[in-house]
Amino acid sequence: MAALDPGKLDARERNALETLLKRLADDEFVLAERYTEWQVRAPTLESDLALANNAQDELGHARLWYDVLEDLGFEEQALIYERDPADFRHATLVERPFEEGDWADAVLRSYLYDAAEKLRLEALEDSAYPKIADRVGKIRSEEEYHLEHAQNWVERLADGDEGHERLQDALDRLFPYALTLFEPVDPDVEDDIVELGLRDATLEELGEEWLSIVVPSLESLDLEPPVSAQVDDDTFEITEDMLPEERGRDGGHTDAWFDLHDELTHTYRDLGRSETTKIMDKPE
Amino acid sequence: MIWEVFRQEKAGNYHTHCGNVHAPDREMATQFAAIQHGRRKPTNSLWVVPKEEIGEIDTEDVAFGGTTDKSYRWATAYNTSGKDAREVVESEDEQATAERQRGDD
Amino acid sequence: MDLDAVKARAGPREFSPADDLPREYREAATRMIEFHANSEIMGAYLERPFIRQAPSIDRKLAFSAKVQDEIGHAQLLYRAAESLGVKSRDEMIDDLANGDGKFLNCFHYPLKSWVEIPMISFFVDGAAMRRQATLRRTSWEPYAHAMDKVCFEEGFHVKHGEDILRELMTGSRAEQRRTQEAFEEWWPRIIQFFGPTDDKSTHHDFAASVGLKQQSNDELRDAFLDQYIPKARKYGLEIPDEPRIREREDGTYAVEENDLDWDEFFTIAKNDYEPGLGQINGRKRAQEAVQWVRDTIEDDATAAGGTAPQAAD
Repeated sequence: MAALDPGKLDARERNALETLLKRLADDEFVLAERYTEWQVRAPTLESDLALANNAQDELGHARLWYDVLEDLGFEEQALIYERDPADFRHATLVERPFEEGDWADAVLRSYLYDAAEKLRLEALEDSAYPKIADRVGKIRSEEEYHLEHAQNWVERLADGDEGHERLQDALDRLFPYALTLFEPVDPDVEDDIVELGLRDATLEELGEEWLSIVVPSLESLDLEPPVSAQVDDDTFEITEDMLPEERGRDGGHTDAWFDLHDELTHTYRDLGRSETTKIMDKPE
Repeated sequence: MIWEVFRQEKAGNYHTHCGNVHAPDREMATQFAAIQHGRRKPTNSLWVVPKEEIGEIDTEDVAFGGTTDKSYRWATAYNTSGKDAREVVESEDEQATAERQRGDD
Repeated sequence: MDLDAVKARAGPREFSPADDLPREYREAATRMIEFHANSEIMGAYLERPFIRQAPSIDRKLAFSAKVQDEIGHAQLLYRAAESLGVKSRDEMIDDLANGDGKFLNCFHYPLKSWVEIPMISFFVDGAAMRRQATLRRTSWEPYAHAMDKVCFEEGFHVKHGEDILRELMTGSRAEQRRTQEAFEEWWPRIIQFFGPTDDKSTHHDFAASVGLKQQSNDELRDAFLDQYIPKARKYGLEIPDEPRIREREDGTYAVEENDLDWDEFFTIAKNDYEPGLGQINGRKRAQEAVQWVRDTIEDDATAAGGTAPQAAD
């Protein structure tokens, strides 16, 4: 597949790239935002540090993806602080709030997301857009730690009665939202993303593969998804009725997102800012 | 449980004690140690050891190196003539430093 | 070892868990280090909402890292305190949640807006950093070791705070005005960070005599004012008229103690001050909400380093 030249993109290419990048960046950004809620509130000092680390990693990834969007003329303030919240393209999984003390949600959400992210990154490593392919490598090794960390925690909690019960509750609640990870922003644009070689798997393929990994893995811990996505021994499928109303990808979000967006843009608006401060150099 | 953490800066270096973490088992201890003790300082590898597994012996238990004259162990005790090989000189210098630090000379 | 021997030997990093130390030393050291650890947590608790409110990605990253460091410092400090054999980490954390654990005055006040951030992240952290640097010579070795790591990490905190101040004071007129207002509100509290003057401080003499404390409250306050008054002015902040601060002939500063609200300070010191109580209780709820996780992963309560409290000589 011929590499795409940032300087010579046509409208179709721009649209595909913008859509893909917003999905990536918004997912990581909102996920990170939720993770930071656990700082100073995690079960132990050590687990606090570990989660903070993951939050900073994810935010760092978001930063890399938002930076690629600069090729298309977008700046950070326009993408985060001045964008209409309904224009964000993250899966509704990552915007869901936490109930106080619900560490089971935190680790299960992390597991569901990280397992999907692993597959997504694999499908991006040969992206036709050079910057994407370049950045995937760095991101993948950080994500490996996240997935291991999440798996570790899920296994431990599943071992105890209370942990198991809370994990099942979290799974019941989060699973439909997790499926939105694989929902399209616009089916035609999704086709373009794959045809142009930006990502080498379709959302359906990613979703099915994800299911074939996480469902058995959770079942081995006696955790059942609230809906069966299993068609037969080897096949999994996401159908319309499994999905929640708010899918994020199409701009439909839960109330929690609008509250969150309000909070995170508060200072920027309160101080009447028009620029975002950079401390680090532009990524390579 | 408390796990003592040892850091190796670069491949080939020794592991040095750098602190500890609380964790219920080795797997979590390594994961935590990676963040608590490895996120900034140059780190090639970390060891975690349960605190109770660490045995200690100190100057109250034993006089390290003995108390009677053992200078026969030191290159510095020997007078030879002529120029020594470089590695012999280096060894003697290292020993002289150690002797000084022990307070023996 | 008896107390006289301790005082005779008192010096930097002189005492370690291998030593048999009298109860008075161990209790004084525990109290000091526990206060420090508690302060790291309560400072982090106060700042955490601003990770979310940070007005840029880089600021958000820096804030998250700063709060993370503070929790890391608490971990080091509880361990250093635990190693004295008087209280376990769990006991200290529980005491903090219950309102029995003491912590820095500054963290009993609410942080309401971004313009107040430099007050904590620059001035208070700056004061803390100086104190921590002197504590690298404290007599309790594990505490000194903890200070090595803390000092290594803390430099970025102060510079991050300073950068935020610089940005505000070179920003819009409204930003500058509001920052000045925040400074006026926080300045007396920052000066009280150092505690009362030496002659009014209850614990100082003992802590100094056994090498735990390296510099007096007055010495630390002088060093702070020396360094940070010029910095404040450099960024265009006006030093408030009260408390009255006078420069002596020898270059040290005299603060008019009576201009400061010591009633408020001592109320805070007993954890009786309202906003501070709100913070303590908020943290308590958060702690309790995840008790089930701790129960799940630990078979027994975390041992206090395996060492039983030693009997006094």
